[in-house]
Formats: sequence, C-alpha cells, structure tokens
Amino acid sequence: MTDKKKDIVIAGYSETAIDFKTGRSAYDLGGEALAKLLAATGIQKSAIDGLAVTTPLSECPNPFFAVYMTEALGITPTWLNYGGTGGCSATGGVARAASAIRDGHCEVVVVLSADAPSTSWRANYGAYRSEFQDPQGVQGPPATFGLLMSRYKHLYGLKQEALGKIAITQREHALHNDNAYSKFKTPITMADYEKSRVIADPLKLLDCVMFCDGANAFLVTSAKRAKELGLSKMVYPTAYAEVTNFNGTDSLAEITETGFSMIAPKVFKQSGLTAKDIKMFQPYDDFTVAVLMKFEDFGFCKRGQGSDFTLDTDLSFSGSLPLNTGGGQISAGQPGLASGGLNLAEAVRQMFGEGGSRQVKDPKNALVTGIGVIPYARNWGTSAAMILEA
Amino acid sequence: MAEEKADRPVPKPSVYIDTSPFWEGAKNGKLVLQFCKDTKQFQHYPRPVSIFTGSRNIEWREVSGKGSVYAVTTIRVPGPGLDGRLPLVVATVRLDEGVRILGNILDADPSEVTIDRRVELAWDPLSGDVQYPAFKLV
Repeated sequence: MTDKKKDIVIAGYSETAIDFKTGRSAYDLGGEALAKLLAATGIQKSAIDGLAVTTPLSECPNPFFAVYMTEALGITPTWLNYGGTGGCSATGGVARAASAIRDGHCEVVVVLSADAPSTSWRANYGAYRSEFQDPQGVQGPPATFGLLMSRYKHLYGLKQEALGKIAITQREHALHNDNAYSKFKTPITMADYEKSRVIADPLKLLDCVMFCDGANAFLVTSAKRAKELGLSKMVYPTAYAEVTNFNGTDSLAEITETGFSMIAPKVFKQSGLTAKDIKMFQPYDDFTVAVLMKFEDFGFCKRGQGSDFTLDTDLSFSGSLPLNTGGGQISAGQPGLASGGLNLAEAVRQMFGEGGSRQVKDPKNALVTGIGVIPYARNWGTSAAMILEA
Repeated sequence: MAEEKADRPVPKPSVYIDTSPFWEGAKNGKLVLQFCKDTKQFQHYPRPVSIFTGSRNIEWREVSGKGSVYAVTTIRVPGPGLDGRLPLVVATVRLDEGVRILGNILDADPSEVTIDRRVELAWDPLSGDVQYPAFKLV
C-alpha cells in the first residue's frame, strides 16, 4: 500500500495570455492572474491567508518582491513563500503550500508566478560567471544545452526527427490554446524543423523556448476547506519530489544523468503509480531534448531510447501519451520564470475537463515537471516533479 | 581568423571569492585551479569551500592542461562578447587531473572537434597582457 495523501487540493487555476514585449510588469500580470483565479473559483480575496510567489527575472533586483506583491494585491498572508528555483517554483510552491497548510500556518494559499522578461530583463547572475563562463562565450542556456545534447548524441544517438516530432506535436497543440503567443499559432512541418537555424550545435531554433511575458496562479487548500468554500473542481497533488545540484560533489558525473533519475522513483512510490499509469505528461520544456531525456528518466522507455520512443508513440492530446497539450513553453511562449506554472496550469485545466478542442479523453492523472537554473557545464540546477490525481 | 580582433573585455578578478591565483597563473601561461587538500581532488569553477568536504582546506595548484573533449558545441548566433568570434567552438574538457573546465578550442574547424579528441592548453589573448585559458587539438 502507498501513503498517498489526499488531504490537500488544487482547487483552481488561472493564466494570462502569453505575449511578447507587453510593456506590462509582473505586478500587473500577477494582478490579472489573481483576478481571473477569483472569478474562476468564486472565492473572496479575504479568504486567502497564504501566498507563494515566484522570483521574476523582471523584478529580481527587489529582494522584497513577494512582500511588495502582497501590498499590490491587497492580501495579508500569515504564510509567505518566495520561490527561487525558477521553473520549479510553481510546483514547488504548491508542495510548500501543502506543508504549510498541514502545519496550520494558513488555510487558503495562492501560488502566483508572474514575469515579464521580454519587457524588462533585470537579472544579473553574478557569482563565477563573468570570470569563468562569459569569456568562453557561454552566456545563456543554448550553449549549455548544445554541450548536453552533444554528449547525449555521443553516448546514445539522437535522432533529429524525434526532436522535430516533439516540436511539431507541441506546435499542433498550441494551435488549440487561446493563451499561446499569437506568432506561434502557425503549424510547422518536419521540413521547417530541418531547415531551422542552428543556434549551438546540434541545438536548433525550433528546439528552444522564447522569453515572453505572462502569469499564472493556483488555489491550494485542504480538501475540507475547499468543500466549505463551495469549490467543486479539484485535483490532488499526491506526489512531489525535487532535487537541486544533483551529483554536485562529483566533478566527473555523467551530465546526461539528471536529477529526474533520482526523483522519478520517489513520485511513483508516493502515488503508487507507474509510468504506464500516466494519462498525460506535462514536462517542463525549455528545450526539446529535456523532454526526450525525461521520457527516459521517468521510465516511459529505457535510457538511450528516447528517440525511438518519441517516434513510436502518439504524443498528441488524443494519443497514448498526451504531451504538453497546451503547446508547452516552446510553442505557447515561455513567461519568464513563471514558466513552470504553464505546464502545471495545463495539467489542472485538462483534469478539470476544460481542455476544449484539445481535451485529453481520460484525464484522471497528470505528471508535471519543473526545471530550474542552468549551471556550469552540467544539465540543470533543480529538477522537480509532481503527480496530480483526480 | 582573418579579421582584426578587437580587444575583448577583461573580467574583473575576485568578484565573489579570491581568484587571484588563477589570474596570476594565466599571466604566466599556467593553468592554476583549486585543489582540496583533504580529498586530493581538483574542483572547478572556484568555490568558497571544498565541495567535497565543506572545509576551506583548499589551495591552488597548476594542472597539465592536457585532457580530452567531453562535450562540444559551436555557438553560431551573435550575442554579447561574441563579435568577430563566430562560429565559436566551446568544449567541456575533461582534464587528466580529473576535473572539467569549459574552454574554447582555438584554430579548429568545428567538424574536427569531436568527443574524446585529445586537447592541450592554449592561450586566448583578451587585452594587453591578459590571456584566458583555452585549448587546441593535439
């Protein structure tokens, strides 16, 4: 038997449209997400006593952003969490909210992620980068992912048509998503993928996300309180695990081995599910290869067989393993560090039966992942995974 | 490269920990990295403590600069600090001393730089007498 926990629920979600250079701030986008969440759930703002906020690229020089956000929104939380794990902050925020609710710090939490880096990029990572990474020209994630892909390709082979299929499938899904960035709402073909410009070999433009602006929010509370509030739609986060700086004390660790290989067994054990039971996969997709590697880490296929699995599996919303059914970040647009909430929002939407023309048929569970931070010459800093069940 | 290279920005040393031994070494054509005296292992990039033990019982030691390509990419799109440098070959080099370092592979056609190829230390001039460690194929 498992120790599956069904005391905490996600009882609402909201999302703004994703757009490029909106000229808006994280506060404004966050406010829109909150207003939409209140409208969708019908709860009063005064019921909210907990807030989890994601550190945004556009406001990160302000160490008190989360506190400023409480004032901006007129919320008086007795528990406030400021998430600094990038694309893991949304699922991580839900998990931390669950712990806080169980400990009695609060009862009704909003997990809010809003960012506007395409309007205002204000991050400065500092640390070692100016001395030990910038001189070599490794300024952003694409070079590090080019390195990672080269290593994977060397060990296992990497089929271009498999990465292309991930990009094309997600683009098809984005066509059904009203919130997706408008310029991405055009189908792409394998020929388009093959012709796509190489950014950092073998990484192509169509393998990559583009920074946009956007926000999302989730209502997390106890199952009991949700019923008292008259909420009817809810999903249970029955499993969560994360790890940061995986293999961090091994200078020679194989970089194709990621933190997901450590946390996947944990979320399956907590939920009592296996890869075969998963009804939809909403993985963090900064780059297509990260999706392919996660097929392996979560046991959908064996290590090194990600290309063949991708080619042999129907990943469409009506297929055997629906993949990023809203287009993912690659085709809906990456709302800065609010990115992790995009994959999570799509999972909750589908499980609420609100997928519209892209509705998954049997949405009784979902596997969602997060990735945060791209470190020096490895894969990624934080890996997070959450399983939602109806 | 045929075109005249403009001076590249020189990083300010010791931004977050004291890295002066690395920069002094570079000035003298030596690659000097951090070494944990308790576990006898190198670590790179430099850290405030040994990542193996958490102690500050670390020193700076010269490495051979010999190693092999562990991972490699070629940056092909412009960005800050990349003017006149594209296509730019970047490799993760596994040094024979058992530590990895990011470095450009100088004077090589990108198609020649493949994983497991042997490399040795080379120096990339930044500005004046400041040079940065890089590698070349052997």
